[in-house]
Amino acid sequence: MSSTAETPPTPSRLRTTLNPDRRKIIYGFAAVVALFVLGDILKPGFATASGIQQVLQVSSFVGLVAAGQTFVILVGGIDLSVPWVLNAAAIVMIAQASGSNGQLWLGIVVALAIGLAFGVVNGLGIALLGVPAVVMTLGMNGIAQGLSLGVTHGLTCSGCTKPPPMTLVNLMTGKTGGIYTSLLIWLAVIALVTFVLSFTTFGRRVYAVGNSQRVSHLAGVNVKVVTVALYGLSGVFAAMAGVALAGFGGGATVGMGDPYLFQSIAAVVIGGTYILGGRGHYLGTVAGAIVLTTLVSVLLATNAPNYARDIVYGVVILVILLLYGRGRSEA
Amino acid sequence: MLERALLSPISGRGEQGPRQLARRRQLVAQNAPLVVAVVLVVGMLAIYIVLYAISLSAFPGTFEAASITDHAIPLSLAAVGQTMVILTRGIDLSVGGMMDLTNALAALKIQGGFLTEALWTVIILLIGAAGGLLNGLLVAFGRIQPILVTLGTLSIFQGLALWVLPSPGGHVATGYTSLFLNPNAPSALLWVILLGLAWVAFRRSRLGVQIFATGNDEQSARANSVPVIRTRLLVYVLGGTLAAGAGVALATTSTGGDATGGDVFTLSSIAAAVIGGVSLFGGRGSAVGAICGAFVLTVLIDILFFANVDPLFQPFFQGLFLVLAVGASTLVGRYLMRRR
Repeated sequence: MSSTAETPPTPSRLRTTLNPDRRKIIYGFAAVVALFVLGDILKPGFATASGIQQVLQVSSFVGLVAAGQTFVILVGGIDLSVPWVLNAAAIVMIAQASGSNGQLWLGIVVALAIGLAFGVVNGLGIALLGVPAVVMTLGMNGIAQGLSLGVTHGLTCSGCTKPPPMTLVNLMTGKTGGIYTSLLIWLAVIALVTFVLSFTTFGRRVYAVGNSQRVSHLAGVNVKVVTVALYGLSGVFAAMAGVALAGFGGGATVGMGDPYLFQSIAAVVIGGTYILGGRGHYLGTVAGAIVLTTLVSVLLATNAPNYARDIVYGVVILVILLLYGRGRSEA
Repeated sequence: MLERALLSPISGRGEQGPRQLARRRQLVAQNAPLVVAVVLVVGMLAIYIVLYAISLSAFPGTFEAASITDHAIPLSLAAVGQTMVILTRGIDLSVGGMMDLTNALAALKIQGGFLTEALWTVIILLIGAAGGLLNGLLVAFGRIQPILVTLGTLSIFQGLALWVLPSPGGHVATGYTSLFLNPNAPSALLWVILLGLAWVAFRRSRLGVQIFATGNDEQSARANSVPVIRTRLLVYVLGGTLAAGAGVALATTSTGGDATGGDVFTLSSIAAAVIGGVSLFGGRGSAVGAICGAFVLTVLIDILFFANVDPLFQPFFQGLFLVLAVGASTLVGRYLMRRR
């Protein structure tokens, strides 16, 4: 190339650091701040340190489920089995521990193992059999539901109505150094997932598979192994949320996971992750989870009736998506 | 593109050339999912009849036939609406919310004389069309992914349903219910057959062809002057209208109105469509298959009942069935593709 030829303008460092995908994450957190300000105007005292912490604590459950959902959506999949994998894990943990602290850790391990097992079966069905992710995970949700209800006789077995062990309750509702312990756990998960996505080979492979399965296969990525691993992770995260929720809410209940299906998907997408895969980050999902929870809290603070909350919730999701969730022009 | 080459009139006429053989295989591959769906319905009905005969030592009569059809009607309508949307590579999660809303409205308003009942039926269907239009506008012009648009409108419709009917109640006028319900004969089968026939005609209409073109290959469709945006829009309007019809049917076939009664249909309508051989990747499938899928899922519940399965285990077997049925048909599809 001759030196006279016009070289394309090199984008400034700021523009490369703040590419559109990363900008979406910043918008997400800006929306969180805006919602807290709005909440404080509507109900003075909403955005105090303890108020904010409470909202963040509730967000952590959506955030945990949405971590797994982020992984599978990054490869263009989706996990509809979240509600009952979460619920099954909570039931198993409660029944295994049956109120005693001594059995708690075994209970948690078994619950996470069950989450992993459901996730891996999801992944195998999708990667090996070629069943569409929507169908496979929808079916597995039914399987998890039927097993949970059938084996426990509709949650009437003696062990499954026990309260969670006190250690877990303290962990989920107590504070360490002035901050809710559950929030610290979420922070650790955020750090870990961010590390995996941004700084490991596995993370690179996730984005590669999400962008093009074919190209990543040709580049030597074992697409099937990555897919199975991600669905397995999604199951583990759902199970983790189940254990956390059981500790936070004082036990396992039928249908406790149902709200987390659509909320986790919404959190992922509001956080800027592309629903067809390949682009996005868990940090955005974190912002999305907090946005959704803050929104619900603001609506609760206004004492709006249930139906109005549903409507505003839907409208806000759509407005956020219209602002920055749009696909490229198809002219 | 391959299909067009295979189906083009240039391929040798008259003689049994390799092209015609390929063409016949293509036809098989295209219609295999539908055949599988029909086989599934027949098989499930056979299992049902055998189990019924064993446990009651009698054969199911018109009452049983009527019961199955009555229960399958709301799901059939919802699944056909879902099929229209899925054919364009979309998905409609707001079906459940729209059925909530229309179910609530029907239970409150469809009573008090033929004229008001007919008027409200039309109004409710128009509300369904309007909700579908909102979905369509957001998908076609807002350029948001269908799954996200309908996730948002699902919440909106659910809210509206709760606003219309805060607590379960109301009922559709008794005279009106006989439109769908008849305990003595499966007269509702007439609606199902009409729905299937309407599809067969619609499939060949201009819009029908445009829907398949859009779902198969949007760029080629656009290049062949298919109005892709308008097709998208109309598909969601049709889907919303059919969901509204499903909501009315649900109010008619159940004892009262419930603003959350439609929620399950979001996912079961997708399941019915997929069991009926509708491809989630767009451009492949038939509403007749979706109706078959709806009947398969409905008969499955009765089969589990007569097989003495603990009702608590019911979701387990439904999930297992979904995974196995779709897994098997995926494998069969792959085998056929390989042979071709």
